[in-house]
Formats: sequence, structure tokens, C-alpha cells
Amino acid sequence: MKKEIVIDVEHLTKDYGMGRGIFDVTFNVHKGEVFGFVGTNGSGKTTTIRHIMGFLKAEQGEVKVLDMDAWKDGPKIKEFVEYVPGEIAFPDLNNGITFLKNQAELLGLKNMDYANSLISRLQLDPSANLKRMSKGMKQKTAIVAALMADKDILILDEPTTGLDPLMRETFLEIILEEKKKGKTILMSSQMFDELEMTCDRVALILDGKIIDIADIEKLQNPAFKLYKIEFTNEQDYKKFKNLKFEVVRDQPQYTQVTIKIATTSLNHLFNVLKNYHLKFISEVKQNLERHFKEILLNKRKVKIVTSKELDKTKRERKRERKTLKKEYEKQKEDKK
Amino acid sequence: MINKALFKQSCKANWVKWLSVTIATCTMLAIVIIVLGNLGINDIRDSLKDVFTQADQEAVLKENSVDSYDLYLTSVDGSNQIVVGIGQMFDSYDNAKEEYETATGSPATGDALVAIQTQIAQGMVSQFEGMLEGTGFTSEQLQALIVGQLAAYDSDPAAETNFINLIKMFLPNMLPQQIASQAKEQALANGATEEEATATEEQVLALATVAVNDYITQSGSPTFVYSTALFESNAAQYVNQMMYDSVYNLQISQGVEEDEANINATAVKVISNTAISTYQLWQHEYSADGSLTDDEKALAKTEATKSISDQIPEKVAVALEELGNMDVYGLIIGSIFYRIAGLLLPMVFVIMTANSLLAGQVDSGSMAYVLSTPTKRRTVSVTQMTYLLFALFSMFALLTVVSVIAVWIVGGNNFAINFSEILLFNLGAFLTMFAIAGFCFMCSAIFNRTKHSLSIGGGLTIFSLVCTILGLFGSSVVPSAMRISQMNFFNYLSIITFFDTTDILTGSMDWLWKFGILLAVGIVTIIIGVFRFDKKDLPL
Repeated sequence: MKKEIVIDVEHLTKDYGMGRGIFDVTFNVHKGEVFGFVGTNGSGKTTTIRHIMGFLKAEQGEVKVLDMDAWKDGPKIKEFVEYVPGEIAFPDLNNGITFLKNQAELLGLKNMDYANSLISRLQLDPSANLKRMSKGMKQKTAIVAALMADKDILILDEPTTGLDPLMRETFLEIILEEKKKGKTILMSSQMFDELEMTCDRVALILDGKIIDIADIEKLQNPAFKLYKIEFTNEQDYKKFKNLKFEVVRDQPQYTQVTIKIATTSLNHLFNVLKNYHLKFISEVKQNLERHFKEILLNKRKVKIVTSKELDKTKRERKRERKTLKKEYEKQKEDKK
Repeated sequence: MINKALFKQSCKANWVKWLSVTIATCTMLAIVIIVLGNLGINDIRDSLKDVFTQADQEAVLKENSVDSYDLYLTSVDGSNQIVVGIGQMFDSYDNAKEEYETATGSPATGDALVAIQTQIAQGMVSQFEGMLEGTGFTSEQLQALIVGQLAAYDSDPAAETNFINLIKMFLPNMLPQQIASQAKEQALANGATEEEATATEEQVLALATVAVNDYITQSGSPTFVYSTALFESNAAQYVNQMMYDSVYNLQISQGVEEDEANINATAVKVISNTAISTYQLWQHEYSADGSLTDDEKALAKTEATKSISDQIPEKVAVALEELGNMDVYGLIIGSIFYRIAGLLLPMVFVIMTANSLLAGQVDSGSMAYVLSTPTKRRTVSVTQMTYLLFALFSMFALLTVVSVIAVWIVGGNNFAINFSEILLFNLGAFLTMFAIAGFCFMCSAIFNRTKHSLSIGGGLTIFSLVCTILGLFGSSVVPSAMRISQMNFFNYLSIITFFDTTDILTGSMDWLWKFGILLAVGIVTIIIGVFRFDKKDLPL
């Protein structure tokens, strides 16, 4: 069954000069999917989201939401879209209640039940003065203002910044509930773990270009797993090394090896290990962060060669090369 | 086109600003009008005006005195010339007889004597013909009289004195009449009406008659030797008295108390005396070299008839006179309150509000909440523009009510500024603010950053106001003593120049097209702003 595409971004380019902006960004979000967006500060997450919201006009390429042009049909699209902006600034109103009521009026929302349930779940005191709210409270108010309309598409730009760990949990729970309702969610973040918890797919964006789109399910249930094994004595260690396992990392000083093994032959491994004295065995878990770091490192190695084409100042390039060199050397050392 | 929720939001966000600016401006206006209405600022102006009117009257008075004095002496001089002329006639008769004797060798007799007498008499008649009018004498009678007198002279030399005495009897009729009719012709030539000319003729006739009678009395007396000095002092005394009498009689006929009439008439007499004394003094000064030309006489007259406004330097006099004519209410209420002081606070309101309605919300990011709902950008900009105009309109509606009430309190249409003028002031100020609001709104719609919107929109607006303040010192409402015409250049840099309160006060209809320009500026800038806001990138 072909999945229905809700948000479709094709070859989107917006060049702000000096290497900033987004370049040839292409991805799509399916109906009922939670799509994550990760990247460093200034990498282009917000710019992409602003295009989807119809605030910015694409230089090249096109953005479609529910088959409507994001720029031309902005107001119509927004009948289906809820948005939490990355930068939290409220209109010049007295308190949260006034703001939420005003927002409900703008949305044409009459029933505030869902809003009230959100408020109590997020433990928000909306009667507080908008200007004196802490960052977390503002964030919570913004979340309520967006989610209360209960629309089909949710676009969240770094929605968890400023939230305390407990509230973050609650918020992620809410997101998962929304997902269960069948909503399509696009969410940007700098936190890998929360994306991993909620998203179906996560796109990595760097310097305005999408580097990789990772499938979380595949990442969490890989075909191959890594195991780190330490032996109590050297004989066992040497004996094990002679077996035909794929060793990805060898640390003789600790009598440690890390092996890569297909999930299907796990039984074989454990049968073999019965006869060995082990200090410990642990699975080296593949997570989103590690996955993207590997990709980034590979990408950067290539980038040293191609950095000339980037419109960067000499000093920036020099500094970048220095840090990359250090990382590369460190990686080499680790391999030894 | 207008979103109710957004409109409400803008009202809630800006009402404190609106209220404080409106109250402050209304209070200022009420105070300005009521305080000015009760202070009687125009009193100073009126007294200045009085000074100049008095000075003008004084100058006329002095001129009259000096002219009368001159006329008196002219009459005396004329009488003297006639008497001297008769003496010369007898002398030339003697000479003609002697010449005849030398030529023929025998004294003239019979027909020859008659011929000489007739010739001399004809010469005299032609000389005096003009004076006979009104005396009941014809030229034939005069000729016969002279011939008779000359014949009598042949036998008795005392006939000369007798004839002079005879002529003196006719002088009071002959000479003054001639001078008076000349004065009438002169007055008619100067554009006076027949009535005025006749009045002048009567005055001159009276004056000249007195002078000639005076001459006749004096010339028969032993003091005749000192005649010139005597006649001069007589003339001065007579003119002074005449001035006194005419003012006194006039005042009494107008029902003024005798004492007061006496004081006023004496004041006039003093002024007349001063003028004549000064005139005499300057004539003596100029005639020190032995002669008094007409130019020197005219100079002496100018010096003698100078009034206060002639004595101060011309520029100062013009400045003071302008100060007297200045419309203080028009200046303070129109040019200073409605064009400067009263605009300042609404300007601050418009600059701040226009910015916060669009650019401020885009800059902070709060616009995202409005635009993430199914609200069109066009709806947002039109709603915000409507709010701005609504706030401005209600502010000026209140200001209009306050100003009309204030004018009504200080005297309605009797006040220096009437209702229609004050209504036009309010309309003009509103249209000026409409143009400025349009411009600030356009800046707010074009720019994404508060700092840009404020510095262009607010900056140019305040620049306009400052230019108007500087330009005020070069504009015609400021009296020339304080005016620096070069400063008028600043008026060309300010949009407030199209709100011209002097047009309204002077009744010129130029304000109509100027108001039209203000309206057009507002509409065009608003349209540009609305369209630009539709098409631009928003960093939300």
C-alpha cells in the first residue's frame, strides 16, 4: 500500500549567501508519521519549517502540504496545521488566559475542553503574566496554543527547549498520543533521544543540506549487532580471536574484542562462549546519535577536499580543517 | 477583510498608550485655548497698534500746523509784495516821465502824459487781474482808478500814500480769496472731493484773511521794522490757537466735558507749537548761508513733522508695526499647537503603534501565532491598518470635541478663532497624522526588524516635526523682527507644510488641495504597505 504524502518538500533552496541557507532539500512526510528533524544551530531546520508554514517564499523547488502550495495557499493549509514556533514571543497581552482565548478566537475554536486538559497535564498556570513567564512556561503556553485546535498536522520547531525533564516526558507522551490519533507530525530538535523515542524517521540536516534520513525502526532492530567481550585471561582471548568472528575493534591490553554479528547467528555465539571465561559481555547499542556521528565523520573527511567550493572565509575554513584533523587523528588512535 | 479577534488584540495591546496620549493632548489644547481666551493677549497688540495710529495722527497734525504757518507767512508776504509793488509803480511812473523829457527835451503833458499813465496802469492791471475776483472790482475800473491816482500824483505826491492806504483796504478781500481758490484747485488736483476742497478753501481763506489783516495793522505801526520776526511769532501763535480752538470746539460739540476738552485741545496746541518751533529752528539753520531754497524748506518741514514712527529706524518701525498687526491666537493655536505641540504626542503614538502592529510582531515572532491560524496576510495587514486609523480617528474626534467646547467657553464666534477655523485645524491635523500613520504603517509592513521600521518611519516623522519647528522661524506667521527668512527652507523638507494654518486663517482656499495631498500620501503609503506585506518573507 502506497503511503499518502502529507508534506512534500522538493529540491527546496533558499540561499542567504555566505554559505547560509538551505540547498536542494528534499524529503516528504507521510500521513500518520512522526518525522524528526535534527541538526546543529543554524543548519537550516527552522528555515525549512518556515517554508512549510508559508512564511518564506522558495527560491527554487517547491513545498506542498496536502497537495497545496505552501506559499500560495498558506491560509487554507493552516486550517489543517498547528504550529509551535522555535522562537517564543507572545503578542502584547496581559496573561496566558487572554492569549489562549484570543488564539482560540483566531482559530475559530469554541470548545476549550481539550485545551483545559492540556493545561492540566502540562501543569501550566495560564493566569500568569505573559512577560514574566519563565522560558519553560512560555514553551508550555505555546504548546497549548498550538495543540488545542486538534488539527491533523503538527509542526513543532524545537518544542522541548526550556522544559524540565519531567515536563519533557509528559510532552513526549502527549506527542505519542497525538501520533496514535493518526496525526502527521514534523518536529525539529537537537535532542537525539527524544526524536528516537517519538519519531518514525529522522532527517539530519547540516549546513542547509540533508545528509541522511534515518529509519528509527531499522536502527533499533538492525541485522547486525555489536558485542563487546572481555576475557579473564589471555589464553581465552587469543583462542577466541582465532575463531571466525568479525572483529571490529581489538584491545589486547584489556583482553577485549568487539565483534559484529548477524542477529540470526546469536545462538552460535553464545554456544561458543560457554567454554570461555568471560569478565563481561555487553551489546554495543546502535542509536541515532552514534549513527549520525558516523555519517558526519565520513562526510567531513570528504568535505576537507570539497570545502573549496563552499563560500566560507579563509579563517573559518582554517579553523574547521584544524578541528577535523584532530578528530581524524583521534579516530586513528582509537582504531589502534 | 478584517479579523475581529486580531482587532481586539490590537485594542488590548495599545489602549493604555492611546488613552494617555489622548488625555494629554486634549488637556493641552483645552488649556491653550481657555487660558489664551482669558488672558487678553491681544491687549498688547492693540496698544502697539494705538501707538502707531497716534503717531500717524500726530504726523498729520504737525503737517497741518506747519502748512498753516507757511500759509500765514505767504499771505503776509503777498500783502507786502502788493504794497511794495504799488510803491514801485509810482517810481516807474516818475522814471517814464523823466525818460520822455530826455527824449523830447520837454516835460510830458496832455496826451503824452495820459499815454504813459495808461501804459503803467495796464501793466498793473495785468499783474493784479487775478486778484479782482470777489472784490466787486472789474479790470476796467481798476485801470481807471490807477490812471486817476497817477494823475493825482502829478499834482500831489501824497497821492502815493493815499493809494497805498486805499489798496490796503481792499487787500483783505483780494489776496486771501486768491490764495484760497489756489488751495482749492490744489486740493482738487490732489484728488479731494468737491466738499473737502471747499472746506480747505474756507480754512485757507480764514487763515489768510487773519494774516493779511495782521499785516495791515502791523505795517501801519512803528514796529513794522521788525516785521519778519514779528510775523513769524504771530503766525505761530495764531496757528496754535487755531488748532486749539478747532479741537476744543469739536470735542464740545461731541459732548466731551469742558475740562477734558481743554486738556485734549491743549495737548494738540503743544504738538502744533512743537512742530512750528522745530520748523522755524530748521529754517534758520538752513538759511544761515543767506538763502533758503525750496529743497531746504522741504527738509525743514520733514524734520518738523516727524512722528514717533519716523524717529525710530525704518526696520524697527516695520517690525513694531507688524508686531502690532500679528495674530497671536492664530500663531499659538494654529502654528504652534496644531502644527507642532499637539502633533508630537499623536506622532509618538503612531510611530510606536504602527511599529508594534506589524514589524514589532514579526521581529519578536509573535506574528507566528496569528499567521499559523487560517488568517490571510492581507487580512492581518488590513486589520492592523484599520485599528491604527480607528485609534487615530477617535483621538482626533475627541480632540475636536474638546477644542469646540473650549472655543465655546471662551466666547464662541466672538473669539479670535471661530468654530469653522477650529474645525478645519482639527481636520488638517488629522489628515497630517493620517499621512504620517500611512508612512509609518508602510515602514512597519516593509521591514522585518523593529529597528529599521522605527528608524525610517519614526525617524523621518520626527525629522518632519523638527523641520517644522525650525521652519516656523522663517515663516510669515513670525514677525519680521524674529524671522530668519533662510529658515523657511526647512518647511520644504516637512510633510506638515501641507497643513497650512495661515491658509485657513486668511480665508484662502489653498488648504483644499494641500489637504488632498495629505490624504493621497496616506492612501498610497497604506496600499504599498498592504501589498508589500503580502509578498515578503517573514522570519517567523
